[in-house]
Amino acid sequence: MFLEQLINGITLGSIYAIVALGYTLVFGVLDIINMAHGEIFMFGAFVGLLIVSKAGAPLPVAFLGAIVVTAAMGLLLERFALRPLRTRPGASHLASLISTIGVSILLENVAHKIFGSGNHLFETPFAEISFTIGPVTVYLVQVVILLISLFLMVGLSLWLSRTRAGKALRAAAENLETAGLLGVDTNRMITATVVIASAMGGIAGVLVGMAFNYINNQIGLSMGLKGLAIIIFGGMGSVYGAMAGGLILGLSETFVVAYGSSGYRDAIAFVAIIVILLIKPQGLFGQAPAEARR
Amino acid sequence: MKRNVRLFAVVACALFAFVFMGAENAKGEAIKAKIGVISYITGQGAAYGEAITNSIKLARDEVNAKGEVLIDLKIEDSSGKQEQALAAAQKLINSEKVVAIIGPTLSNEMFAAGPEANASGVPIMGTSTTAKGIPQIGKFVFRNALPESQAIPAAAGQAVKKYNIKKVALLYGNDDAFTKSGFDTMKEVAEKLKLNIVTIQEFQKGQADYKAQLTKIASLKPDAVFCSALYNEGGVILAQARKMGLKVPFVGGNGFNSPKVIEIAKDAAEGLIVATPWFGEKKDPKVQSFVAKYEKAYGKKPDQFAAQAYDAFHIMTNALKAAGTADRAKLRDALAATKNFQGVLGQFSFDAERDVVMAPNVLIVKGGKFTIFN
Amino acid sequence: MEWLNPYHLQVASFVLINAILGVSIYVTLSTGQLSLGNAGFMSVGAYTAALLSTQHQVPIPVGILAGSLLAGAAGILVGIPSLRLSGVYLAIATLGFGEVIRAVLINWESLTGGAVGVPAIPQMGRVTLVWARDRGFSPESLGLQSNQFISLTVFLILLLGTILTVAFFLRLSRSRVGRAYAAIRLDESAASAAGIPITYYKVLAFSQGALLSGFAGALFAHSTSFVSPGDFTYHRAVEILVFAVFGGSLHIYGPVFGAAFLTVVPEALRAVSDYRYILYGILLVLMMVFRPQGVIDPALLRRFRRSGKGTPA
Repeated sequence: MFLEQLINGITLGSIYAIVALGYTLVFGVLDIINMAHGEIFMFGAFVGLLIVSKAGAPLPVAFLGAIVVTAAMGLLLERFALRPLRTRPGASHLASLISTIGVSILLENVAHKIFGSGNHLFETPFAEISFTIGPVTVYLVQVVILLISLFLMVGLSLWLSRTRAGKALRAAAENLETAGLLGVDTNRMITATVVIASAMGGIAGVLVGMAFNYINNQIGLSMGLKGLAIIIFGGMGSVYGAMAGGLILGLSETFVVAYGSSGYRDAIAFVAIIVILLIKPQGLFGQAPAEARR
Repeated sequence: MKRNVRLFAVVACALFAFVFMGAENAKGEAIKAKIGVISYITGQGAAYGEAITNSIKLARDEVNAKGEVLIDLKIEDSSGKQEQALAAAQKLINSEKVVAIIGPTLSNEMFAAGPEANASGVPIMGTSTTAKGIPQIGKFVFRNALPESQAIPAAAGQAVKKYNIKKVALLYGNDDAFTKSGFDTMKEVAEKLKLNIVTIQEFQKGQADYKAQLTKIASLKPDAVFCSALYNEGGVILAQARKMGLKVPFVGGNGFNSPKVIEIAKDAAEGLIVATPWFGEKKDPKVQSFVAKYEKAYGKKPDQFAAQAYDAFHIMTNALKAAGTADRAKLRDALAATKNFQGVLGQFSFDAERDVVMAPNVLIVKGGKFTIFN
Repeated sequence: MEWLNPYHLQVASFVLINAILGVSIYVTLSTGQLSLGNAGFMSVGAYTAALLSTQHQVPIPVGILAGSLLAGAAGILVGIPSLRLSGVYLAIATLGFGEVIRAVLINWESLTGGAVGVPAIPQMGRVTLVWARDRGFSPESLGLQSNQFISLTVFLILLLGTILTVAFFLRLSRSRVGRAYAAIRLDESAASAAGIPITYYKVLAFSQGALLSGFAGALFAHSTSFVSPGDFTYHRAVEILVFAVFGGSLHIYGPVFGAAFLTVVPEALRAVSDYRYILYGILLVLMMVFRPQGVIDPALLRRFRRSGKGTPA
């Protein structure tokens, strides 16, 4: 059972990591938590569902559709709920937080209106295929999820470190004003960040559909809260932190259920936050805090 | 000052009109009454509230068409939140002045709204509130929802006998009052039947992934799994369980006995055993007529929530007829005296504590539908 | 007294409880600390009061006091380690605390009954009615029906609690403590350099907020007569936050107004209840875009005071 639980944990963890990456990107550049990220992720899952189950299109199309829709949502979010707050004098980070909370409530209930509240079946065409290696059964779906997640994580890291656009984004994350002075189009950078982060949420949504076969309009909330826990644990703004944190959380949750009490599963994420904040507040991979970040 | 006088005049006129309208009713043949409904219309569990409200509307149309009783339905949404249920109850009791209330949907909500209705002398009847202690809230509180404490022993007992079950795993949602109290009963029953409980696993609402719990259960090789879940989670659990090779019989509680489970789990639902007062395939003209009407009006088959709400409305209007007038206290007495009412759930009576007296059917899913299990 | 509608009194009662909750988050906010854990503190107060009164027959006022104090103590416990956190970190950590409390409430069944909750909590109004009846008093003598009396009693008790709370903190804001809070909020390092004991005041504000949340929680338990873990979720924490942020985070009247508005409007909007939360979400965004300091801010209050006498009630 251990190996199977290990695989369960890794699959879960890689999805968590992708979601966390979305949060960490936005926080790194904008210094805010996008509380609507979880709901955007949920929409991605539903778009994927509609494409695969209702339109009968192949999986890659589902990913494409999810990316397009969630990217568009990110665009709208940035334009209407975030940008106006940047130009206002006297608006605090609190305001962005609240604004994104408003968007998340809006999205959660719009999804409820459109999709209803029950569980919806997400059929992956190759869901039944599995390999048996020794005592362990591995599903093709799990392998695909792991591969896609790895690809995303590696791709993102490479993009950030090698390409001009990626470096511009890192510059903006480091210090928005200075980056602007150095010629980076900060507005475009910010928009790009939110769009990319949202698209990653969309991809994660489709992955969740593939992994668990059922999605409902509440997954945004629970995934969102866990994503927050992960980036605090891993270090806000740190890409490696998000990845490591996601995997650790996925594995911890799975093993606590397997070997401990399954009742406390959802609390693990939050216990982890509290522990890390007491020991190393900047997170596993976070930079030492110079002054209080507001 | 002038404003106050005008306001007073308006209120006075409204009161006069109200009184005269009432007088008018006393002359007519039909009993006119306002019945309030508190339902889970928006929010996560809206599917349950929807089934209940749909049924009640259907029943209202039937009753009004007959003409002996004319019901004006006042439907309020409580979103599954007890403060809203309480406020809704207050509104129905004091602003709408209903003669009785059907609902709320969740036991939690009933624990908040029930005492208020009781203190105000308004009969309130839960159609889906199965937690322990609900009718005991007060003499105006009724329910026609078959509690787990009656359903589960029937299902479990028969399953154990038929499959010679010795070892059992328990799985339940520990963050919902409904599934938690279902679990309490399952545990009691397992202990009474002297079964070996190999593990107790919990899950939370909204979880999409049960692999960890199911893997653990599978590794301990039980003869059966007792699962207390609502159909949303239950269907998914069944599907994931079968997919990972856990093929033993599943015994479910009240939440499982909905056709939606089969919809969600499809083939994985084969072999699921539940006890329910509601059996949609029963060869009973009343049942079949209700199913047909409901399907025609709402495009899907009615589940237990729908059936219980439907019967509840008829029980209510029957009692209203017996009371002879839309009077809260008289209605309460008539309700309490309900005996051997024939509904789509079978024969129904209230016991001395206004709780349910009804015989459950034990069903098993075979060939994609619920059939009698024996 | 036909016009005394228990339904209106019920809504008004919820407004008052929410007002206290709004002030609870406002207090910590006034030192620049954003706590999203007030749902957790509220549950501590609620469950303490509930369990004491149902399992140990403790009189209601004692239970409410105990609940508030316990929540305040919890506030100190959470406040001290949180000192080194700020801004969003603090917000999420406190949110996490709230979730952990909720998990404990669900899992520690032997104490709390788990997800089933604690039913049959003595309700303030009904208990008062019985107490009054035992002394020969009958509500009819005041022209009231029983349920009107019950609702009115609850409302008056809550009104007293709210007035005392607001009065206390209004005074506090004008005192040395209040000035210290404001200084810490504006610039913590400067305040520290000026000799203000930051640790003491920050923890004080934190525990005051927690105590108020617990107070509101205990009152909640004794008004609805039932509590369960589901009443104290993340959604509740966000709700409380919105009272202060929407109503106004710069003056104590802000959260009171926010609570009143955001409790009454969804009730009044029952007609469009299907879209209630959607409108709510849009409202939040619009508020932040067009008036992020909240509706009630010191400038608005100054304008009201200046136009003073002509303003209708």
